[in-house]
Amino acid sequence: MKLYNISLQSLRRRKAKTIFLIIGLILSVASVVTLLTVSKNVNASIAANLDEFGANIIITPKSDDISINYSGLSINSVSYNNKELHTNDVEKIRTIKNKDNISIIAPKLLSVETINPSNPDKGGTGNKNVLVCGIRFNDEMRLKKWWNVNGKIPSEANEVIIGSEIRKKLGIKLNEQLKIRNKNFLISGILDETGSQEDAMIFMDIKESQILLDKKDKVSLIEVAALCYDCPIEEIVRQTSSVLAGANVTPIKQTIESKMTAIHRFEHFSFGISLVIMIISMLIVFTNVNASVTERTKEIGIFLAVGFRRYHIMQIILLEVLTASFFAGLIGYLTGTISARFIIPVLTMDESIKIVYDNSLLILSTGFSLALGFIASFYPVVRATKLDPTTAFRSL
Amino acid sequence: MSLIEINNLTKEYKSANETVLAVNDLSFSIEQKEFVTLLGQSGSGKSTLLTVLGGLAKPTLGKIVVDEINVYELSTKSIADYRREYIGFVFQSFQLVPYLTVKENVSLPLSISDLTNREQKQLVNQILEKVHLENKAKRLINELSGGEQQRVAIARALINDPMIILADEPTGNLDSKTSEDIMKIFSNLNNDGKTIVMVTHNTAFKKYSHRSIELSEGRLIN
Repeated sequence: MKLYNISLQSLRRRKAKTIFLIIGLILSVASVVTLLTVSKNVNASIAANLDEFGANIIITPKSDDISINYSGLSINSVSYNNKELHTNDVEKIRTIKNKDNISIIAPKLLSVETINPSNPDKGGTGNKNVLVCGIRFNDEMRLKKWWNVNGKIPSEANEVIIGSEIRKKLGIKLNEQLKIRNKNFLISGILDETGSQEDAMIFMDIKESQILLDKKDKVSLIEVAALCYDCPIEEIVRQTSSVLAGANVTPIKQTIESKMTAIHRFEHFSFGISLVIMIISMLIVFTNVNASVTERTKEIGIFLAVGFRRYHIMQIILLEVLTASFFAGLIGYLTGTISARFIIPVLTMDESIKIVYDNSLLILSTGFSLALGFIASFYPVVRATKLDPTTAFRSL
Repeated sequence: MSLIEINNLTKEYKSANETVLAVNDLSFSIEQKEFVTLLGQSGSGKSTLLTVLGGLAKPTLGKIVVDEINVYELSTKSIADYRREYIGFVFQSFQLVPYLTVKENVSLPLSISDLTNREQKQLVNQILEKVHLENKAKRLINELSGGEQQRVAIARALINDPMIILADEPTGNLDSKTSEDIMKIFSNLNNDGKTIVMVTHNTAFKKYSHRSIELSEGRLIN
């Protein structure tokens, strides 16, 4: 018989105590594995949702400006060497190396048009100048999740939605007609007030606007929502700039920073909870092993009496704890993974979410369990080895 | 020279409120192959003396010399080795490890030796035959009677072939018939060359020993 036989027999035949120790460790490991898996997947889900909440890259045509000065006075600035953006530039963005990080591409064609209200009696007289924006409604609605449209999103080429300011300015209502460049358009929807320039705009299908404004295949600017959770936005900007030579590609730092702050806060929260759970588990294991050492005073006395050295006693108890910790690590990982499988769809409110499991967690969780068991039992084990033989022997 | 020499041995136990003088300036010697019974009332210092002899409690004053080794001048590790090589303990309450079988309890002292499993098994079987427990090797301790458990304890004490057996009231929890059986085992061990120091309340067992030493309040009175 060797020392490890004593440890194994102790675990095998003192089942209740062994199970109690293992359960304490399993709860800890499973909680941490669940938390880490949930955190990773929820973070990714939050990031994906946040990334699609407004653009974080703006692409505009390059141009050079020159200021006109005369006798020290700034008269005007003139743009020259203006480049243009085209519809096929949108497809070029989809060819960059990090194309999988591109979530939404929303091109726009802007133009100031004179609007002749169909019923001038209803509100204001005379022609009004308004900003008309050609968009892809599907992409734009995904990008601008805060948009709330009364009515319906245009499904026909001759349908538009108007901002709340336009409604007041032109005195027009839902399902009324609007004439732009002598072509009638139906107001299928009215945008609720957003507090931005969009309240003063008319939105139509971009292809229809390109035909109407005689700007075939032209685009004024492109808004891009990139998934920047796990890749640097600067890299996406750099790659996009390389495929669009005639464009200024600009990351919207404020948007990116606020998104990343939200994500990091959640990560820190998860980390904090994990830390608390770890500490509580260590206390449970510590209490368990400490109580076990106290109960085994007689046993330690026997070991001393038959000639065991102190480190033999340390080996026996530590081996018991580490064996239990090892199995608790494996079982805890399985339990945590299964728990995460049920929790993630609830937290992300997405039953169809594809859960990403981190296989390295198996090694981490086992290592964590072993470390937890060792650290938590260190003091009780040292106490056992320092037990005064007289105290132990008296109990005999 | 005697096998065991006890010189001016004093042992104090200090608690929060008082100091107890368990053994007070004892001096005597024990020869090799001698069977000595330690007699005295409860609290006379018999068990303390045994503890100190066994290297489990450092004396406050005095020294213990066993086989020309000053026991308490050894390092902590060496004292453990001394216990393993020289001493076999037998206790009143048997003090067996409850989650180990008979043979596992007997081979407990061998678990830190260099013997192979096969060599250990051979030794254990020999010892179990000596105490007539060869058929109960795989039983757990709680499946045995009191007398059988004490025989297991004796077997464990013998497994390292120590020179000295220290027995603290080995028959205290046994009936008279079983006690006699146990005493016969000790007598046989003594005949085989073991030096035995036994604490007992039962003066009838003096007949098994060569000599009795009587203690009272930590002092030698007889």
